[in-house]
Amino acid sequence: MAFDKMELRDIEVWDGNFAAAQALRQCQIDVVAAYPITPSTPIVEGYAKFLADGYIEGEFVMVESEHAAMSGCIGAAAAGGRVATATSSQGFALMVETLYQASGMRLPIVLNVVNRALAAPLNVNGDHSDMYLGRDSGWIQFDAYCPQNAYDLNFIAFKVSEDHDVRLPAMVHQDGFMTSHTAQGVNTLTDDEAYGFVGDFKPMNDMLDFEHPVTHGVQTEEDWHFEHKARQHNDLMTKVMPKIQAAFDDFEKLSGRKYNIVESYDMADADVAVICMGTSVETAREVATEMRAKGIKAGVVGLRVIRPFPFFQIAEALKGVKAIATLDRSSPNGAPGMLFNEIAGALYNTGDRALLSGYVYGLGGRDLTKAHLVSLYNELQANVDAGKVTTPLQQFIGVRGPKLSFL
Amino acid sequence: MANKGWNEFEIGAMLRTFDGKIDDIAGTRQEDRAYSENSSFVASVADWRIEKPIFSKDFCIDCQFCWIYCPDMSIIARDKKMIGVDMDHCKGCGICVEVCPTNPKSLLMFPEQADEETELAQWPAKDEEKK
Amino acid sequence: MSEMKKIKNLKEFSTSADRFEGANLLCPGCAHSIIVREVLNATNDDLVLSASTGCLEVCTAVYPYTSWDASWIHIGFENGSTAVAGAEAMYNALRNKGRLKQPDRNPKFISFAGDGASYDIGFQWISGCMERGHNMMHVVLDNEVYANTGGQRSSSTPIGSSSTTAPAGRVSYGEKKNKKDMVSIMASHGIPYSAQVAPNKWKDMVKKIQHGFSVDGPVFINAVSPCTTEWKFDPKDTMMLSDLSTDSLVFPLYEIIDGHELNITYRPKNVVPVEEYLAAQGRFKHLFKDQYKYLIKEWQERVDAKWAYLNRREEARV
Repeated sequence: MAFDKMELRDIEVWDGNFAAAQALRQCQIDVVAAYPITPSTPIVEGYAKFLADGYIEGEFVMVESEHAAMSGCIGAAAAGGRVATATSSQGFALMVETLYQASGMRLPIVLNVVNRALAAPLNVNGDHSDMYLGRDSGWIQFDAYCPQNAYDLNFIAFKVSEDHDVRLPAMVHQDGFMTSHTAQGVNTLTDDEAYGFVGDFKPMNDMLDFEHPVTHGVQTEEDWHFEHKARQHNDLMTKVMPKIQAAFDDFEKLSGRKYNIVESYDMADADVAVICMGTSVETAREVATEMRAKGIKAGVVGLRVIRPFPFFQIAEALKGVKAIATLDRSSPNGAPGMLFNEIAGALYNTGDRALLSGYVYGLGGRDLTKAHLVSLYNELQANVDAGKVTTPLQQFIGVRGPKLSFL
Repeated sequence: MANKGWNEFEIGAMLRTFDGKIDDIAGTRQEDRAYSENSSFVASVADWRIEKPIFSKDFCIDCQFCWIYCPDMSIIARDKKMIGVDMDHCKGCGICVEVCPTNPKSLLMFPEQADEETELAQWPAKDEEKK
Repeated sequence: MSEMKKIKNLKEFSTSADRFEGANLLCPGCAHSIIVREVLNATNDDLVLSASTGCLEVCTAVYPYTSWDASWIHIGFENGSTAVAGAEAMYNALRNKGRLKQPDRNPKFISFAGDGASYDIGFQWISGCMERGHNMMHVVLDNEVYANTGGQRSSSTPIGSSSTTAPAGRVSYGEKKNKKDMVSIMASHGIPYSAQVAPNKWKDMVKKIQHGFSVDGPVFINAVSPCTTEWKFDPKDTMMLSDLSTDSLVFPLYEIIDGHELNITYRPKNVVPVEEYLAAQGRFKHLFKDQYKYLIKEWQERVDAKWAYLNRREEARV
């Protein structure tokens, strides 16, 4: 090998961006095509520096836009090798066209999405608008709550995405700044352990196999298009979750760190539960513990896998809960909110008729404070006590001005 | 290809041109290639034609203008000789006739229903006024 | 470096085994296909190809058929060049890492795109590919119009042409702007080779394509592609139109080496008046009305001026 391994301490102090960059280094990506955008830039900067320092062998293509970044990734992935990139927000929005093309062509690409608000008005801070924008794109979506997750989920993303039964691209989400720029202790894998977990890239339908030429990116009209889209959806619905679970299991054996498709915290006997994503999960867990000290049986459900949507796992995690709050960190712009709708969908046909209310919070990096969550849990308990939702179904948390609520 | 169900084809709408392995495509003539059912080579556009070219080899000088300028890979050239027209892939554009330099032309357009032997039997003679 | 295919004359060229198939869905008489054949047959090396959305793409890979005998990819309208650039990057990565399945090959990376996909929507992507120095060739099939979507103007559409979005009418002569000079723009990236070609001049084409394959770095080729449907002429006349385009000097054939050294590669023995080129096409029919005849005169002056400029550039050797 024409590159050097890196000696890591068992625990390194890394922010989410550097943790992701280190994971990419350890996975030995063949081609990274990237374009800078705050707050994901340090991932590709980190990768570029590893290359400049001789810790990676591969091609780093610094392109002229995020659209070109994903276009280059698609060309490289179709050629037959390990491919990754990173982006955020407007860059993600510019990539959207190509996201559908990558998944439709069944190309395993790992995209680190450092979540950030979408303009207008322009904002560089974290919310989940970009994550939500990608949710129908046919990609697998993992959600990290902290730098450790951002590191670990990259390995899992490659392992699942490149599996020949899956062959679907995957996003690893982390919150802009709150995760990406906040240094925490990260338990590391050695280079050999990490690469051994992900394994060598196994090409499939690769353009560079000159003895088996392939045509990628065909046109299908009304006589074929539906079947291809149905196939992709079928594979997302039936093949991905078992592979993710197997990867989580393998990863636990390797690292001792256990991941779950839905991350439940204090849910066994919970009366009230908050369901959310990103760094908010960790805040909510802290508040739930405090609420329990006050006699409210509070729990937290975090989504670890957003797509495919863990329909049954969510229903299972929320079984027996009396009041649930969904926390959407993206402006629903005229609807109840993605989490509200999808959780409602997952619960509607279960015997449980939990009281469901939705909250919109944290847009453009606005803090979700513990005080917000305390009053939210109190509202849920009030709903339980009243036997009905006592608040409007959609409330905004932490926005200035008169109380904003709908439905 | 028959209209298959959603579970019956390769993922990603990927198509393979050939069945199995092919070592040197540029060095393998069409008749020696194992085209898959997905190569348009196995399809036909013969029904697009209103007129068809008929080739008379009597005057052909094998200049290969018709070969190079055929948009549909339908002029069959082997060993530097023009040997005929691939009527499955010819769309009847008539370029081959236009670029044919012989006198009389070695390719002429006729209605699709025209009988080849009849037309060859009454091929025009050399136009003495033309250089 | 692989050996360059020897093509002394057309007879020798005709021994090529095409890697592009018939029963594609291009119009009868479409020049795109002629250009693609001339480009692909210029080499026997393996090919990695892309097409941006456009006539060539939608007519050659309609499921369940492909007309390509080499690996080929289409992503979108704007990014065929970058798809090939990505594949080229992967080739370099796998070569350096010793993971190529057939390490002894010398693949050529070529992206095809129309003028809409090159002059307009894909402009930035191509510029990026040229600037970054990928070992690839971008070939524009320049029919000066969005033919695939029914004939809308592009920034390659010439003055006086009638298109569906710049139609000639009672008070308009159609397109008001002259086409963009892509060969120069791309040459200005300092790339090793930028050239204009035409399918009628196959030898000039093959020479340029082979030169493009021989250099290290990105190559830009602009190929005039007479469009029977949108230029409005009989399909049998495609090569006549191609002849008129080069011999009227509306499409002068030249090359620019290393971004500056310009060579004219074809000098017509008998230069045809631009009027003849225009008269052969329905899209310019209205220019022959009395009130628009001045435009034909201006056309000729523009073509003369461009030709004089190219000659000065060539003589100056700068």
